[in-house]
Amino acid sequence: MMHESAKIPTRRAYSDRMAERGESDPDFAVFESDIGYSTYSYLFGDRFPERYFNFGIAELSTMAAAAGMASTGRRVIVSGYGVFLTMRALEVVRSFICYPKLNVKLLSSHGGLTAAIDGVTHQATEDIAFMTTLPNMKVLCPADPVAARAACDLALDTPGPVFTRLMRDPLFELYGTEEEFHIGGSKTLRQGGDVAILSYGDLVFKALLAADRLAALGIEARVLDLYSVKPWDREAVFAAAGECGAILVVENHQRRNGLGYEIATTLLKAGSCLPFDNLGLDDTFAESGNYHEMLDEYGLGPASITAAAERLVAAKKGRA
Amino acid sequence: MKLEERARELEAKARELRFHIVDMVHAAQSGHCGGSLSAADIVTALYFEFLNIDPANPDKGDRDRFVLSKGHACPVQYAALALRGFFPVAELRSLRAMHSRLQGHPVQGKLPGIEVTTGSLGVGICEAVGLALEARLRKASWRVWAVLGDGELGEGAVWEAAQAATKFGLDNLIAVVDNNGLQNDGYCRDILPLRSIPDKFRAFGWAVLEMDGHDMEDILRTFGKALLITGSPVCVVAKTVKGKGVSFMEDKRDWHGKAPNAEQYAQAVAEIKGGPA
Ligand SMILES: Cc1ncc(C[n+]2csc(CCOP(=O)(O)OP(=O)(O)O)c2C)c(N)n1
Ligand SMILES: [Mg+2]
Repeated sequence: MMHESAKIPTRRAYSDRMAERGESDPDFAVFESDIGYSTYSYLFGDRFPERYFNFGIAELSTMAAAAGMASTGRRVIVSGYGVFLTMRALEVVRSFICYPKLNVKLLSSHGGLTAAIDGVTHQATEDIAFMTTLPNMKVLCPADPVAARAACDLALDTPGPVFTRLMRDPLFELYGTEEEFHIGGSKTLRQGGDVAILSYGDLVFKALLAADRLAALGIEARVLDLYSVKPWDREAVFAAAGECGAILVVENHQRRNGLGYEIATTLLKAGSCLPFDNLGLDDTFAESGNYHEMLDEYGLGPASITAAAERLVAAKKGRA
Repeated sequence: MKLEERARELEAKARELRFHIVDMVHAAQSGHCGGSLSAADIVTALYFEFLNIDPANPDKGDRDRFVLSKGHACPVQYAALALRGFFPVAELRSLRAMHSRLQGHPVQGKLPGIEVTTGSLGVGICEAVGLALEARLRKASWRVWAVLGDGELGEGAVWEAAQAATKFGLDNLIAVVDNNGLQNDGYCRDILPLRSIPDKFRAFGWAVLEMDGHDMEDILRTFGKALLITGSPVCVVAKTVKGKGVSFMEDKRDWHGKAPNAEQYAQAVAEIKGGPA
Protein backbone atom coordinates (compact mmCIF):
# COMPACT_ATOMS: atom_id res chain seq x y z
CA MET A 1 0.00 0.00 0.00
CA MET A 2 1.39 3.40 -0.95
CA HIS A 3 0.13 6.57 0.56
CA GLU A 4 1.74 9.96 0.54
CA SER A 5 2.24 11.73 3.82
CA ALA A 6 -0.04 14.73 3.80
CA LYS A 7 1.75 18.04 3.68
CA ILE A 8 -0.88 19.76 5.76
CA PRO A 9 -3.01 18.68 8.72
CA THR A 10 -6.78 18.40 8.36
CA ARG A 11 -7.26 21.56 10.48
CA ARG A 12 -5.37 23.47 7.81
CA ALA A 13 -7.24 21.85 4.91
CA TYR A 14 -10.62 22.76 6.43
CA SER A 15 -9.50 26.35 7.00
CA ASP A 16 -7.99 26.61 3.51
CA ARG A 17 -11.33 25.61 2.04
CA MET A 18 -13.18 27.95 4.40
CA ALA A 19 -11.05 30.87 3.19
CA GLU A 20 -11.50 29.91 -0.48
CA ARG A 21 -15.21 29.45 -0.09
CA GLY A 22 -15.52 32.91 1.40
CA GLU A 23 -15.17 34.26 -2.16
CA SER A 24 -18.21 32.50 -3.60
CA ASP A 25 -20.21 32.31 -0.39
CA PRO A 26 -20.50 35.78 1.11
CA ASP A 27 -22.97 34.89 3.84
CA PHE A 28 -21.17 32.95 6.54
CA ALA A 29 -19.13 34.35 9.42
CA VAL A 30 -16.23 32.86 11.38
CA PHE A 31 -15.77 33.20 15.15
CA GLU A 32 -12.41 32.55 16.79
CA SER A 33 -11.14 32.60 20.39
CA ASP A 34 -7.44 33.51 20.08
CA ILE A 35 -6.08 30.36 18.50
CA GLY A 36 -6.56 31.42 14.91
CA TYR A 37 -2.90 30.79 14.15
CA SER A 38 -3.30 27.25 15.37
CA THR A 39 -6.64 26.41 13.76
CA TYR A 40 -5.60 28.42 10.66
CA SER A 41 -8.87 30.34 10.82
CA TYR A 42 -6.68 33.43 10.38
CA LEU A 43 -6.51 32.51 6.67
CA PHE A 44 -10.19 33.43 6.46
CA GLY A 45 -9.71 36.44 8.72
CA ASP A 46 -6.96 37.87 6.53
CA ARG A 47 -9.21 37.71 3.45
CA PHE A 48 -12.54 38.63 5.01
CA PRO A 49 -11.83 40.75 8.08
CA GLU A 50 -15.39 42.09 8.15
CA ARG A 51 -16.76 38.55 8.63
CA TYR A 52 -14.11 37.31 11.06
CA PHE A 53 -14.57 37.90 14.78
CA ASN A 54 -11.82 37.09 17.25
CA PHE A 55 -13.25 37.22 20.78
CA GLY A 56 -10.00 36.63 22.65
CA ILE A 57 -9.66 33.75 25.08
CA ALA A 58 -13.38 33.42 25.85
CA GLU A 59 -14.72 30.19 24.35
CA LEU A 60 -17.99 30.13 26.25
CA SER A 61 -19.17 33.59 25.23
CA THR A 62 -17.82 33.10 21.71
CA MET A 63 -20.10 30.09 21.32
CA ALA A 64 -23.07 31.92 22.82
CA ALA A 65 -22.47 34.90 20.54
CA ALA A 66 -22.43 32.48 17.60
CA ALA A 67 -25.82 31.20 18.78
CA GLY A 68 -27.09 34.77 18.83
CA MET A 69 -25.91 35.53 15.32
CA ALA A 70 -27.10 32.18 14.02
CA SER A 71 -30.55 32.73 15.55
CA THR A 72 -31.18 34.98 12.54
CA GLY A 73 -30.42 32.08 10.22
CA ARG A 74 -26.85 33.05 9.42
CA ARG A 75 -24.26 30.29 9.25
CA VAL A 76 -21.44 30.76 11.75
CA ILE A 77 -18.31 28.65 11.90
CA VAL A 78 -16.86 28.59 15.42
CA SER A 79 -13.19 27.67 15.43
CA GLY A 80 -11.36 26.23 18.42
CA TYR A 81 -9.69 23.30 20.13
CA GLY A 82 -11.89 20.27 20.75
CA VAL A 83 -11.48 20.41 24.52
CA PHE A 84 -12.76 23.96 24.78
CA LEU A 85 -15.52 23.78 22.15
CA THR A 86 -16.97 20.52 23.41
CA MET A 87 -16.47 20.96 27.13
CA ARG A 88 -16.18 24.59 28.19
CA ALA A 89 -18.94 25.59 25.80
CA LEU A 90 -20.90 22.34 25.96
CA GLU A 91 -24.07 23.69 27.53
CA VAL A 92 -24.31 26.44 24.95
CA VAL A 93 -23.79 23.93 22.15
CA ARG A 94 -26.50 21.70 23.57
CA SER A 95 -29.23 24.02 24.76
CA PHE A 96 -28.77 27.08 22.59
CA ILE A 97 -27.45 25.66 19.32
CA CYS A 98 -28.60 22.05 18.98
CA TYR A 99 -31.96 22.52 20.65
CA PRO A 100 -33.01 25.40 18.36
CA LYS A 101 -31.19 23.69 15.41
CA LEU A 102 -29.03 26.69 14.61
CA ASN A 103 -26.57 26.90 11.73
CA VAL A 104 -23.47 26.79 13.88
CA LYS A 105 -20.58 24.75 12.50
CA LEU A 106 -17.77 23.73 14.81
CA LEU A 107 -14.26 23.68 13.40
CA SER A 108 -12.79 21.56 16.15
CA SER A 109 -9.05 21.13 16.05
CA HIS A 110 -6.73 18.91 18.12
CA GLY A 111 -9.13 15.95 18.17
CA GLY A 112 -8.29 12.83 20.15
CA LEU A 113 -4.65 12.44 21.07
CA THR A 114 -3.20 14.64 18.34
CA ALA A 115 -2.48 17.28 20.93
CA ALA A 116 -0.36 14.55 22.46
CA ILE A 117 2.60 16.64 23.43
CA ASP A 118 0.49 19.30 25.18
CA GLY A 119 -0.92 16.78 27.63
CA VAL A 120 -4.36 15.85 28.85
CA THR A 121 -5.82 19.36 29.18
CA HIS A 122 -5.48 19.75 25.42
CA GLN A 123 -6.50 16.24 24.31
CA ALA A 124 -10.12 15.99 23.15
CA THR A 125 -10.70 12.32 23.90
CA GLU A 126 -14.38 12.56 24.88
CA ASP A 127 -15.56 14.96 22.16
CA ILE A 128 -17.27 12.32 20.03
CA ALA A 129 -19.27 11.14 23.04
CA PHE A 130 -20.43 14.66 23.84
CA MET A 131 -21.20 15.69 20.27
CA THR A 132 -22.86 12.48 19.04
CA THR A 133 -25.09 12.49 22.12
CA LEU A 134 -26.62 15.87 21.27
CA PRO A 135 -29.88 15.73 19.32
CA ASN A 136 -29.73 17.53 15.94
CA MET A 137 -25.91 17.53 15.87
CA LYS A 138 -24.11 15.98 12.92
CA VAL A 139 -20.54 14.83 13.40
CA LEU A 140 -17.80 14.52 10.80
CA CYS A 141 -14.22 13.37 11.15
CA PRO A 142 -12.18 13.50 7.96
CA ALA A 143 -9.13 11.28 7.56
CA ASP A 144 -7.19 13.33 5.04
CA PRO A 145 -6.94 16.87 3.60
CA VAL A 146 -9.33 16.18 0.70
CA ALA A 147 -11.95 14.86 3.09
CA ALA A 148 -11.37 17.83 5.41
CA ARG A 149 -12.02 20.29 2.61
CA ALA A 150 -15.18 18.36 1.78
CA ALA A 151 -16.20 18.47 5.45
CA CYS A 152 -16.08 22.25 5.37
CA ASP A 153 -18.44 22.27 2.39
CA LEU A 154 -20.72 19.65 3.91
CA ALA A 155 -20.91 21.64 7.13
CA LEU A 156 -21.82 24.85 5.35
CA ASP A 157 -24.29 23.16 2.99
CA THR A 158 -26.12 21.11 5.62
CA PRO A 159 -28.75 22.96 7.66
CA GLY A 160 -28.30 22.88 11.44
CA PRO A 161 -25.30 22.26 13.68
CA VAL A 162 -22.36 20.27 12.29
CA PHE A 163 -19.27 19.36 14.31
CA THR A 164 -16.07 18.51 12.46
CA ARG A 165 -13.23 16.87 14.33
CA LEU A 166 -9.85 17.86 12.91
CA MET A 167 -6.32 16.84 13.73
CA ARG A 168 -3.25 18.77 14.75
CA ASP A 169 -0.72 16.55 13.00
CA PRO A 170 -0.50 16.01 9.23
CA LEU A 171 -1.91 12.59 8.34
CA PHE A 172 -1.79 10.76 5.02
CA GLU A 173 -3.34 11.40 1.64
CA LEU A 174 -6.01 8.80 1.02
CA TYR A 175 -8.29 10.45 -1.51
CA GLY A 176 -8.04 12.06 -4.92
CA THR A 177 -9.47 15.53 -5.31
CA GLU A 178 -12.49 14.16 -7.24
CA GLU A 179 -13.67 12.01 -4.34
CA GLU A 180 -17.19 12.81 -3.11
CA PHE A 181 -18.39 12.73 0.46
CA HIS A 182 -21.81 13.07 1.99
CA ILE A 183 -23.49 13.13 5.38
CA GLY A 184 -24.11 9.53 6.38
CA GLY A 185 -21.56 8.18 3.91
CA SER A 186 -18.46 6.07 4.33
CA LYS A 187 -15.58 4.81 2.20
CA THR A 188 -14.42 1.27 1.86
CA LEU A 189 -10.68 1.67 1.50
CA ARG A 190 -9.81 -1.98 1.39
CA GLN A 191 -11.90 -5.02 0.58
CA GLY A 192 -11.75 -8.13 2.69
CA GLY A 193 -14.03 -10.78 4.09
CA ASP A 194 -12.38 -12.03 7.28
CA VAL A 195 -12.87 -9.07 9.59
CA ALA A 196 -13.99 -5.46 9.17
CA ILE A 197 -12.04 -2.63 10.76
CA LEU A 198 -14.11 0.52 11.14
CA SER A 199 -12.46 3.79 11.97
CA TYR A 200 -12.47 7.54 11.36
CA GLY A 201 -9.96 10.36 11.33
CA ASP A 202 -6.30 9.68 11.96
CA LEU A 203 -6.76 6.03 12.86
CA VAL A 204 -8.07 5.10 9.43
CA PHE A 205 -4.49 5.09 8.27
CA LYS A 206 -3.37 3.00 11.23
CA ALA A 207 -6.15 0.55 10.34
CA LEU A 208 -4.80 0.34 6.79
CA LEU A 209 -1.32 -0.37 8.15
CA ALA A 210 -2.81 -3.10 10.34
CA ALA A 211 -4.64 -4.55 7.32
CA ASP A 212 -1.27 -4.90 5.57
CA ARG A 213 0.10 -6.81 8.54
CA LEU A 214 -3.02 -8.96 8.68
CA ALA A 215 -2.70 -9.78 4.98
CA ALA A 216 0.79 -11.09 5.67
CA LEU A 217 -0.82 -13.38 8.25
CA GLY A 218 -3.37 -14.58 5.71
CA ILE A 219 -6.24 -12.49 7.09
CA GLU A 220 -8.12 -10.26 4.69
CA ALA A 221 -9.44 -7.24 6.54
CA ARG A 222 -11.99 -4.84 5.15
CA VAL A 223 -11.27 -1.24 6.14
CA LEU A 224 -14.00 1.38 6.35
CA ASP A 225 -13.53 5.10 6.79
CA LEU A 226 -16.61 6.23 8.69
CA TYR A 227 -15.87 9.92 8.10
CA SER A 228 -19.53 10.64 8.86
CA VAL A 229 -19.59 9.68 12.52
CA LYS A 230 -23.16 10.81 13.03
CA PRO A 231 -25.17 9.75 11.18
CA TRP A 232 -23.02 6.74 10.32
CA ASP A 233 -23.38 4.51 7.31
CA ARG A 234 -25.69 1.78 8.57
CA GLU A 235 -25.83 0.03 5.25
CA ALA A 236 -22.06 -0.29 4.89
CA VAL A 237 -21.61 -1.37 8.49
CA PHE A 238 -24.35 -4.01 8.33
CA ALA A 239 -22.94 -5.27 5.04
CA ALA A 240 -19.50 -5.52 6.65
CA ALA A 241 -20.99 -7.37 9.63
CA GLY A 242 -22.82 -9.79 7.38
CA GLU A 243 -19.98 -10.41 4.95
CA CYS A 244 -17.00 -10.38 7.34
CA GLY A 245 -18.65 -11.80 10.44
CA ALA A 246 -16.43 -9.83 12.82
CA ILE A 247 -16.24 -6.12 13.58
CA LEU A 248 -13.43 -4.07 15.10
CA VAL A 249 -14.04 -0.37 15.75
CA VAL A 250 -10.90 1.71 16.27
CA GLU A 251 -11.19 5.21 17.69
CA ASN A 252 -8.86 7.92 18.91
CA HIS A 253 -11.28 8.48 21.79
CA GLN A 254 -12.44 6.92 25.00
CA ARG A 255 -13.82 3.45 24.34
CA ARG A 256 -16.78 4.35 26.48
CA ASN A 257 -19.54 6.17 24.60
CA GLY A 258 -17.62 6.35 21.36
CA LEU A 259 -18.77 5.17 17.97
CA GLY A 260 -17.95 1.58 18.96
CA TYR A 261 -20.60 1.64 21.68
CA GLU A 262 -23.15 3.01 19.24
CA ILE A 263 -22.40 0.43 16.56
CA ALA A 264 -22.37 -2.47 19.04
CA THR A 265 -25.74 -1.47 20.43
CA THR A 266 -27.24 -1.08 16.99
CA LEU A 267 -25.93 -4.47 15.84
CA LEU A 268 -27.22 -6.16 18.98
CA LYS A 269 -30.62 -4.57 18.66
CA ALA A 270 -30.79 -5.82 15.07
CA GLY A 271 -30.15 -9.35 16.35
CA SER A 272 -26.63 -9.50 15.00
CA CYS A 273 -24.37 -11.20 17.52
CA LEU A 274 -20.85 -11.50 16.18
CA PRO A 275 -17.26 -11.24 17.42
CA PHE A 276 -16.84 -7.54 18.21
CA ASP A 277 -14.22 -5.34 19.81
CA ASN A 278 -13.54 -1.65 20.07
CA LEU A 279 -10.20 -0.03 20.67
CA GLY A 280 -9.84 3.34 22.34
CA LEU A 281 -8.63 4.79 25.61
CA ASP A 282 -9.64 2.26 28.20
CA ASP A 283 -11.25 4.47 30.84
CA THR A 284 -8.00 6.35 31.30
CA PHE A 285 -6.40 9.70 30.66
CA ALA A 286 -3.30 9.72 28.50
CA GLU A 287 -0.27 11.96 29.15
CA SER A 288 2.19 14.19 27.28
CA GLY A 289 4.39 12.66 24.64
CA ASN A 290 5.08 12.04 21.00
CA TYR A 291 1.85 11.53 19.06
CA HIS A 292 2.69 8.29 17.27
CA GLU A 293 4.44 6.78 20.29
CA MET A 294 1.38 7.68 22.32
CA LEU A 295 -0.98 5.93 19.94
CA ASP A 296 1.16 2.80 20.22
CA GLU A 297 1.40 3.11 23.99
CA TYR A 298 -2.37 3.40 24.43
CA GLY A 299 -3.18 0.49 22.17
CA LEU A 300 -4.18 2.40 19.04
CA GLY A 301 -1.21 1.62 16.78
CA PRO A 302 -1.02 -0.94 13.97
CA ALA A 303 0.31 -3.67 16.32
CA SER A 304 -2.65 -3.41 18.70
CA ILE A 305 -5.16 -3.20 15.86
CA THR A 306 -3.60 -6.27 14.22
CA ALA A 307 -3.68 -8.24 17.46
CA ALA A 308 -7.31 -7.34 18.14
CA ALA A 309 -8.33 -8.32 14.62
CA GLU A 310 -6.52 -11.65 14.96
CA ARG A 311 -8.40 -12.35 18.20
CA LEU A 312 -11.72 -11.64 16.48
CA VAL A 313 -10.88 -13.94 13.58
CA ALA A 314 -9.94 -16.67 16.06
CA ALA A 315 -13.21 -16.14 17.93
CA LYS A 316 -15.10 -16.42 14.68
CA LYS A 317 -13.39 -19.77 13.92
CA GLY A 318 -14.16 -20.95 17.45
CA ARG A 319 -17.83 -20.35 16.82
CA ALA A 320 -17.94 -22.04 13.44
CA MET B 1 21.24 41.57 53.35
CA LYS B 2 20.37 44.76 51.58
CA LEU B 3 17.52 44.58 49.08
CA GLU B 4 19.88 45.70 46.31
CA GLU B 5 22.30 42.86 47.02
CA ARG B 6 19.53 40.32 47.20
CA ALA B 7 18.20 41.63 43.90
CA ARG B 8 21.57 40.95 42.25
CA GLU B 9 21.53 37.36 43.51
CA LEU B 10 18.02 36.83 42.28
CA GLU B 11 18.86 38.32 38.90
CA ALA B 12 21.58 35.67 38.55
CA LYS B 13 19.06 33.02 39.54
CA ALA B 14 16.55 34.33 36.98
CA ARG B 15 19.23 33.96 34.36
CA GLU B 16 19.54 30.28 35.30
CA LEU B 17 15.78 29.87 35.00
CA ARG B 18 15.85 31.47 31.57
CA PHE B 19 18.61 29.14 30.46
CA HIS B 20 16.66 26.08 31.56
CA ILE B 21 13.45 27.33 29.95
CA VAL B 22 15.11 27.61 26.56
CA ASP B 23 17.11 24.44 27.14
CA MET B 24 14.13 22.24 28.00
CA VAL B 25 11.89 23.62 25.26
CA HIS B 26 14.73 23.04 22.81
CA ALA B 27 15.18 19.49 24.08
CA ALA B 28 11.45 18.79 23.78
CA GLN B 29 11.18 20.70 20.49
CA SER B 30 7.85 21.84 21.87
CA GLY B 31 6.63 24.23 24.52
CA HIS B 32 6.08 27.89 25.27
CA CYS B 33 9.16 30.11 25.49
CA GLY B 34 7.60 33.56 25.28
CA GLY B 35 5.30 33.44 28.29
CA SER B 36 7.81 31.47 30.34
CA LEU B 37 10.54 34.04 29.80
CA SER B 38 8.23 36.98 30.57
CA ALA B 39 7.37 35.42 33.94
CA ALA B 40 10.94 34.36 34.82
CA ASP B 41 11.78 37.26 37.14
CA ILE B 42 8.43 37.12 38.91
CA VAL B 43 8.67 33.36 39.43
CA THR B 44 12.29 33.60 40.58
CA ALA B 45 11.36 36.14 43.23
CA LEU B 46 8.49 33.99 44.44
CA TYR B 47 10.37 30.69 44.60
CA PHE B 48 13.64 32.04 45.98
CA GLU B 49 12.42 34.81 48.26
CA PHE B 50 8.74 34.76 49.13
CA LEU B 51 7.18 31.31 49.05
CA ASN B 52 7.21 29.38 52.31
CA ILE B 53 8.03 25.97 50.81
CA ASP B 54 10.42 23.15 51.63
CA PRO B 55 11.84 20.87 48.92
CA ALA B 56 12.66 18.27 51.58
CA ASN B 57 9.01 18.24 52.60
CA PRO B 58 7.03 19.36 49.57
CA ASP B 59 3.71 18.46 51.20
CA LYS B 60 4.20 20.28 54.49
CA GLY B 61 0.82 21.49 55.57
CA ASP B 62 1.37 25.19 56.06
CA ARG B 63 3.24 25.79 52.81
CA ASP B 64 2.30 28.65 50.53
CA ARG B 65 0.48 27.55 47.41
CA PHE B 66 1.70 28.64 44.00
CA VAL B 67 -0.78 28.34 41.12
CA LEU B 68 0.38 28.84 37.55
CA SER B 69 -2.95 29.89 36.09
CA LYS B 70 -1.24 30.45 32.72
CA GLY B 71 -0.24 26.79 32.76
CA HIS B 72 1.37 26.80 29.31
CA ALA B 73 4.28 28.70 30.89
CA CYS B 74 5.14 25.69 33.06
CA PRO B 75 8.77 25.56 31.87
CA VAL B 76 9.37 28.55 34.15
CA GLN B 77 7.80 26.74 37.10
CA TYR B 78 9.59 23.48 36.37
CA ALA B 79 12.91 25.33 36.19
CA ALA B 80 12.22 27.06 39.51
CA LEU B 81 11.20 23.83 41.22
CA ALA B 82 14.27 21.97 39.97
CA LEU B 83 16.68 24.74 40.92
CA ARG B 84 14.99 24.97 44.31
CA GLY B 85 15.68 21.25 44.82
CA PHE B 86 12.27 19.67 44.32
CA PHE B 87 13.61 17.25 41.71
CA PRO B 88 16.84 16.78 39.76
CA VAL B 89 17.76 19.52 37.32
CA ALA B 90 18.71 16.83 34.79
CA GLU B 91 15.04 15.84 34.63
CA LEU B 92 14.12 19.17 33.03
CA ARG B 93 15.09 17.90 29.60
CA SER B 94 12.40 15.23 29.80
CA LEU B 95 9.81 17.98 29.32
CA ARG B 96 6.79 16.69 27.39
CA ALA B 97 8.36 13.29 26.67
CA MET B 98 6.46 10.02 27.14
CA HIS B 99 6.40 8.94 30.80
CA SER B 100 7.94 12.21 31.97
CA ARG B 101 6.77 13.84 35.17
CA LEU B 102 7.08 17.16 33.34
CA GLN B 103 3.77 17.20 31.52
CA GLY B 104 2.99 19.67 28.75
CA HIS B 105 0.90 21.59 31.27
CA PRO B 106 1.21 21.24 35.07
CA VAL B 107 -0.46 18.17 36.57
CA GLN B 108 -1.10 17.80 40.28
CA GLY B 109 0.44 14.68 41.74
CA LYS B 110 2.87 14.06 38.89
CA LEU B 111 5.64 16.26 40.15
CA PRO B 112 6.45 17.49 43.66
CA GLY B 113 5.54 21.15 44.03
CA ILE B 114 2.63 21.24 41.60
CA GLU B 115 -0.41 22.13 43.68
CA VAL B 116 -3.23 22.01 41.13
CA THR B 117 -3.67 20.96 37.53
CA THR B 118 -3.80 23.87 35.09
CA GLY B 119 -3.41 24.45 31.35
CA SER B 120 -6.88 25.52 30.34
CA LEU B 121 -6.81 29.25 30.85
CA GLY B 122 -9.13 30.90 33.35
CA VAL B 123 -9.26 27.92 35.68
CA GLY B 124 -6.16 28.38 37.85
CA ILE B 125 -7.29 31.62 39.43
CA CYS B 126 -10.56 29.92 40.41
CA GLU B 127 -8.63 27.04 41.94
CA ALA B 128 -6.55 29.64 43.79
CA VAL B 129 -9.73 31.06 45.31
CA GLY B 130 -10.61 27.55 46.52
CA LEU B 131 -7.16 27.09 48.03
CA ALA B 132 -7.44 30.43 49.81
CA LEU B 133 -10.85 29.45 51.20
CA GLU B 134 -9.39 26.14 52.36
CA ALA B 135 -6.73 28.03 54.31
CA ARG B 136 -9.50 29.93 56.03
CA LEU B 137 -11.46 26.77 56.74
CA ARG B 138 -8.39 25.18 58.35
CA LYS B 139 -7.42 28.40 60.10
CA ALA B 140 -4.08 28.01 58.34
CA SER B 141 -1.76 30.87 57.57
CA TRP B 142 -0.73 29.87 54.08
CA ARG B 143 -0.89 32.33 51.23
CA VAL B 144 -1.93 31.59 47.68
CA TRP B 145 -0.01 33.18 44.82
CA ALA B 146 -1.44 32.87 41.32
CA VAL B 147 0.25 33.97 38.10
CA LEU B 148 -2.08 34.86 35.23
CA GLY B 149 -1.56 35.84 31.62
CA ASP B 150 -3.05 39.06 30.29
CA GLY B 151 -4.72 37.23 27.40
CA GLU B 152 -6.11 34.88 30.01
CA LEU B 153 -8.07 37.80 31.47
CA GLY B 154 -10.43 37.36 28.51
CA GLU B 155 -11.95 34.33 30.23
CA GLY B 156 -15.10 35.31 32.08
CA ALA B 157 -14.25 32.85 34.85
CA VAL B 158 -11.34 35.09 35.90
CA TRP B 159 -13.82 37.82 36.76
CA GLU B 160 -16.19 35.45 38.47
CA ALA B 161 -13.28 34.37 40.65
CA ALA B 162 -12.31 38.01 41.21
CA GLN B 163 -15.77 38.77 42.55
CA ALA B 164 -15.82 35.70 44.77
CA ALA B 165 -12.42 36.59 46.21
CA THR B 166 -13.74 40.02 47.13
CA LYS B 167 -16.94 38.67 48.57
CA PHE B 168 -14.98 36.31 50.81
CA GLY B 169 -12.38 38.96 51.65
CA LEU B 170 -9.49 36.72 50.64
CA ASP B 171 -6.50 38.73 51.78
CA ASN B 172 -4.45 35.53 51.65
CA LEU B 173 -4.71 35.58 47.85
CA ILE B 174 -2.29 37.45 45.61
CA ALA B 175 -2.75 37.35 41.85
CA VAL B 176 0.12 38.46 39.65
CA VAL B 177 -0.79 39.42 36.08
CA ASP B 178 2.06 38.90 33.61
CA ASN B 179 1.16 41.89 31.46
CA ASN B 180 3.32 41.18 28.41
CA GLY B 181 0.79 42.63 26.00
CA LEU B 182 0.65 39.56 23.74
CA GLN B 183 -1.64 36.58 23.49
CA ASN B 184 -1.72 33.74 20.94
CA ASP B 185 -3.08 35.57 17.91
CA GLY B 186 -1.40 38.93 18.42
CA TYR B 187 -1.22 41.93 20.70
CA CYS B 188 -3.90 42.00 23.38
CA ARG B 189 -4.78 45.53 22.27
CA ASP B 190 -5.85 44.07 18.88
CA ILE B 191 -7.28 40.70 19.93
CA LEU B 192 -9.10 41.73 23.09
CA PRO B 193 -8.35 45.25 24.31
CA LEU B 194 -8.14 45.16 28.10
CA ARG B 195 -8.11 48.91 28.71
CA SER B 196 -6.82 49.34 32.26
CA ILE B 197 -6.12 46.07 34.09
CA PRO B 198 -5.52 47.90 37.42
CA ASP B 199 -8.80 49.81 37.10
CA LYS B 200 -10.66 46.61 36.37
CA PHE B 201 -9.35 44.78 39.43
CA ARG B 202 -9.92 47.86 41.58
CA ALA B 203 -13.52 48.00 40.39
CA PHE B 204 -13.84 44.37 41.44
CA GLY B 205 -12.74 45.26 44.96
CA TRP B 206 -9.09 44.20 44.88
CA ALA B 207 -6.09 46.14 46.15
CA VAL B 208 -3.85 46.78 43.15
CA LEU B 209 -0.10 47.28 42.91
CA GLU B 210 1.88 47.87 39.75
CA MET B 211 5.49 47.01 39.05
CA ASP B 212 8.10 46.47 36.39
CA GLY B 213 8.14 42.68 36.10
CA HIS B 214 11.79 42.65 35.05
CA ASP B 215 13.19 45.01 37.71
CA MET B 216 14.12 42.72 40.58
CA GLU B 217 14.31 45.51 43.15
CA ASP B 218 10.86 46.71 42.15
CA ILE B 219 9.55 43.13 42.33
CA LEU B 220 10.98 42.62 45.84
CA ARG B 221 9.54 45.88 47.11
CA THR B 222 6.13 45.35 45.49
CA PHE B 223 5.69 41.78 46.68
CA GLY B 224 6.81 42.93 50.11
CA LYS B 225 4.06 45.54 50.11
CA ALA B 226 1.50 43.03 48.86
CA LEU B 227 2.12 40.89 51.94
CA LEU B 228 1.15 43.77 54.23
CA ILE B 229 -2.26 44.41 52.67
CA THR B 230 -5.21 43.14 54.67
CA GLY B 231 -8.94 43.05 54.07
CA SER B 232 -8.96 42.33 50.35
CA PRO B 233 -7.26 40.18 47.74
CA VAL B 234 -4.28 41.77 46.03
CA CYS B 235 -3.56 42.01 42.32
CA VAL B 236 -0.04 42.85 41.21
CA VAL B 237 0.06 43.98 37.60
CA ALA B 238 3.55 43.31 36.26
CA LYS B 239 4.64 45.12 33.11
CA THR B 240 6.68 42.57 31.20
CA VAL B 241 8.08 41.75 27.78
CA LYS B 242 7.13 38.44 26.21
CA GLY B 243 10.28 36.43 25.46
CA LYS B 244 12.36 38.67 27.76
CA GLY B 245 16.07 37.91 27.70
CA VAL B 246 16.31 36.50 24.18
CA SER B 247 16.39 39.37 21.69
CA PHE B 248 14.76 37.60 18.77
CA MET B 249 11.93 36.28 20.92
CA GLU B 250 11.11 39.57 22.60
CA ASP B 251 7.66 40.95 21.88
CA LYS B 252 7.13 38.50 19.01
CA ARG B 253 3.80 36.78 18.49
CA ASP B 254 5.26 33.76 16.82
CA TRP B 255 7.49 32.93 19.80
CA HIS B 256 4.43 32.20 21.91
CA GLY B 257 4.51 28.46 21.43
CA LYS B 258 7.50 27.63 19.29
CA ALA B 259 10.71 25.74 20.01
CA PRO B 260 14.10 27.09 18.94
CA ASN B 261 16.16 25.18 16.38
CA ALA B 262 19.85 24.44 17.02
CA GLU B 263 21.08 27.76 15.76
CA GLN B 264 18.44 29.79 17.58
CA TYR B 265 19.13 27.76 20.70
CA ALA B 266 22.85 28.59 20.57
CA GLN B 267 22.14 32.28 20.15
CA ALA B 268 19.52 32.28 22.90
CA VAL B 269 21.88 30.58 25.35
CA ALA B 270 24.70 32.96 24.47
CA GLU B 271 22.45 35.94 25.12
CA ILE B 272 21.10 34.58 28.38
CA LYS B 273 24.51 33.64 29.73
CA GLY B 274 26.42 36.64 28.44
CA GLY B 275 23.91 39.45 28.35
CA PRO B 276 23.56 42.26 30.86
CA ALA B 277 21.76 41.35 34.06
C1 LIG C 1 -9.19 27.96 27.86
C2 LIG C 1 -8.03 28.01 26.95
N1 LIG C 1 -8.19 28.54 25.72
C3 LIG C 1 -7.15 28.57 24.86
C4 LIG C 1 -5.94 28.07 25.22
C5 LIG C 1 -4.81 28.07 24.23
N2 LIG C 1 -3.80 29.09 24.60
C6 LIG C 1 -2.69 28.73 25.27
S1 LIG C 1 -1.73 30.04 25.64
C7 LIG C 1 -2.79 31.12 24.88
C8 LIG C 1 -2.49 32.58 24.87
C9 LIG C 1 -2.25 33.05 26.26
O1 LIG C 1 -2.01 34.41 26.34
P1 LIG C 1 -1.62 35.03 27.75
O2 LIG C 1 -2.62 34.64 28.76
O3 LIG C 1 -1.41 36.47 27.55
O4 LIG C 1 -0.29 34.26 28.11
P2 LIG C 1 1.24 34.70 27.84
O5 LIG C 1 1.25 35.87 26.92
O6 LIG C 1 1.78 35.03 29.16
O7 LIG C 1 1.89 33.49 27.23
C10 LIG C 1 -3.88 30.43 24.36
C11 LIG C 1 -5.00 31.05 23.62
C12 LIG C 1 -5.82 27.53 26.52
N3 LIG C 1 -4.67 26.99 26.95
N4 LIG C 1 -6.86 27.52 27.36
MG1 LIG D 1 0.24 37.69 27.42
